[in-house]
Amino acid sequence: MEKVPVKTNRAGEAAPGASPSKRTRGSRMARSQLRTAVIFLAPAVLAIALLRLLPFGEAVWDTLFKSEGFGVLAEEKFAGLENYVTLFTDVSFLQTLGRTVVFNLIINPLQIALAMAVSVLMTRKMFGRGLWRTAVFLPSTIPLVGSSVAWGIALRPDGPVNALLGLFGIGSQPFFTSSHQALASIILVASWIGIGHWMIFLIGGLNSVNQELYEAASIDGANGWRTFWSLTVPLMRRPLLFVLVADTVANFVLFVPMQMLTNGGPENSTTVLMFDVYQRTYTFSEPHIGAAATVVLTVIMIIIVSIQFRLLGERDK
Amino acid sequence: MKRATFLRGAAAMAAAATVSSCSSEGSGNKSSGKSDNWEIPQKDPTATITVVGQRAKSGTSGMDPVLKAFHKAHPTITVKYQQIPFKNLNSVLASRITDKTGNPDVFWTDQPRVAAYATKGYLADLTDQFGDLTSALVPTTVDACKFQGKLWSLPLGNSSQVLYYNPALLEKAGVKPPSADPAKRITWQQLAKDAKRVQDKGGAKYGMLFGQPNRYYQLEPLPASDGGGIGAKGKHNLTVDVNNPQWVETMNFYGSLFDKKISPKSITPEQTGPTFIAGHTGYFWHTQNWVTWITEQAKFEWGGGLTPVWEGGTPYTPTGSWGIGLNPYSKNKEAAAIFMKWLAIDGVGGFGKSMEWSIMPANKKGVEKYLASEPYTGSAGGKAAAKIIDYESKNTAQARVATVGYVEFETLIEEAFSDISNGTDAKKALDTAQQKITSAWKKYQ
Repeated sequence: MEKVPVKTNRAGEAAPGASPSKRTRGSRMARSQLRTAVIFLAPAVLAIALLRLLPFGEAVWDTLFKSEGFGVLAEEKFAGLENYVTLFTDVSFLQTLGRTVVFNLIINPLQIALAMAVSVLMTRKMFGRGLWRTAVFLPSTIPLVGSSVAWGIALRPDGPVNALLGLFGIGSQPFFTSSHQALASIILVASWIGIGHWMIFLIGGLNSVNQELYEAASIDGANGWRTFWSLTVPLMRRPLLFVLVADTVANFVLFVPMQMLTNGGPENSTTVLMFDVYQRTYTFSEPHIGAAATVVLTVIMIIIVSIQFRLLGERDK
Repeated sequence: MKRATFLRGAAAMAAAATVSSCSSEGSGNKSSGKSDNWEIPQKDPTATITVVGQRAKSGTSGMDPVLKAFHKAHPTITVKYQQIPFKNLNSVLASRITDKTGNPDVFWTDQPRVAAYATKGYLADLTDQFGDLTSALVPTTVDACKFQGKLWSLPLGNSSQVLYYNPALLEKAGVKPPSADPAKRITWQQLAKDAKRVQDKGGAKYGMLFGQPNRYYQLEPLPASDGGGIGAKGKHNLTVDVNNPQWVETMNFYGSLFDKKISPKSITPEQTGPTFIAGHTGYFWHTQNWVTWITEQAKFEWGGGLTPVWEGGTPYTPTGSWGIGLNPYSKNKEAAAIFMKWLAIDGVGGFGKSMEWSIMPANKKGVEKYLASEPYTGSAGGKAAAKIIDYESKNTAQARVATVGYVEFETLIEEAFSDISNGTDAKKALDTAQQKITSAWKKYQ
């Protein structure tokens, strides 16, 4: 008997109306695909469970205890939600919380808007496009520690950036030494690295947009601005969502520039939650309070990421 | 599961997981699980030990020659050395010792942190093994490694302070150099005037550089010299005292040096020495370590003077240095002890003997060798520095405050120093520090 190809849908399930033998073969294929998926996914899922979720669970558990004594000699005692009460009655923690949210509300849209603008520019036909792309991407290949040191020197009150500003008649700026400019200077350093990094993902997205749609828009008489908002942005939803979420997570846990350049100062102006967690846990040897601050940070991050999914995510069909 | 729901969950998990790994310093510390029942063996065991220090491995001041000399003397013990920058040493040690794996076996300990480390269980008690061997070491350095009568660390180094200056720039400005004679010690107020003049008339880019700006080690002598104390007092030094009038007065003075641009803002301790060596700075106040580097690298004749005194006050200079401690969870205590003994005690001390450029040793014979070396005998500046170090170590050295809460104290007072140098009013910054340290120390009361 001649073999008839089994009709299956994309999920590998036998199509309705297929004969029993066809159904059996279909389910065998489905099982095979499932096995392949499990084999491929297992290492990643296992690693996430062991290296990420388990320590996080431990951190949550840790928040319910307090130390009687210090360091490795400390005795652990159940404390319920006392660590959270301590945190939320600490004025400096509440200020840090507010500062972290404001920092993220500024840096994330800023970085993504600039990365998007640069991506659109870099996908246009222009002289030396590859070279420009490389130049924008290059900062993200330098370790953050190295970039921070370099920016620390560049933005010193007597540093080269101020010398450059002087050429244009702009007075010397305090940058990291002023409580009014330090956080903005950190945003500058982080964005110098971030824009090139996120640009790569957005260029990938832009390149996959069907060019015929642009031609159609052009024929319909849409100008560049209209095309960007009505065509590019909706079609870029998926890569934009990824970049927005990943960028938000990265900036919520941003730590190196604060540690390297300002140590949380001047006047705590660059103390954000991640730096606060580090200080409480390691400098002040308060691991349980540090763990509670971590949980607070995570909850805020989840809320913001969920909002981002709701705003930009595609509706479930 | 619908794709969007799955994605949302995955992103939330990723977000949660990203911050989780730095959250726990270790929990459930019910028992120390360590044994103190051991002694320094007569015969070398075969073992590999891990040592963590703030020194680089290679380079001019690297540990390579030291390790090479040790391996030659003790071939069955292999030392794996890892460098952790000074700034991160405390946090790295906190996380690595508390995981109780015994790694590192041996680590560099900043002497004022001995009390805190001992209280937290980060150090093995060395009294039984090393108590009788400390006569080879300068007594003040041994005292700095003791807490509650027990020996917790072996001192490797000692330190003093020299006011380096650039004679050509001073001469051009018509400023008299600071004296090396204790009877003619200049005041801080005079130094500020002279430094400004050297900048205005002598063409110096910077009037004066603090070798370690914003660090408690270097700034503590200012309020102490004015009679304001070293920052804490009372039982176990757990009463914070950083906003008294003398602290405010001296720190206002410190801030004014940056405000008047005599000292540059935002320069790091790593950048100050090379800046002075470049030749455009009038005065440079730093440890004696720089005698060697300045001698080797500066293209100008340099001079050395005594640390200034606060007008009407008592002269004080910073002191203290590094020691080495043993992880109480080390699985190679015997081999580690042989390394520690060789490094600090044997002969002139392996550390001082094997390093071309070293800190001033805590080892008595090592100090003699150190001060007889070329940098201290080959130039007028070097000879003056040797005389100054000897005098200051014996007469004006003021150790940092010994308290179980040292780590919090140092971190928070240095935040205040940093704010003051950036323009915050000294009273405001010190009041904040007073309140924060008091709060951080509540757990020790």
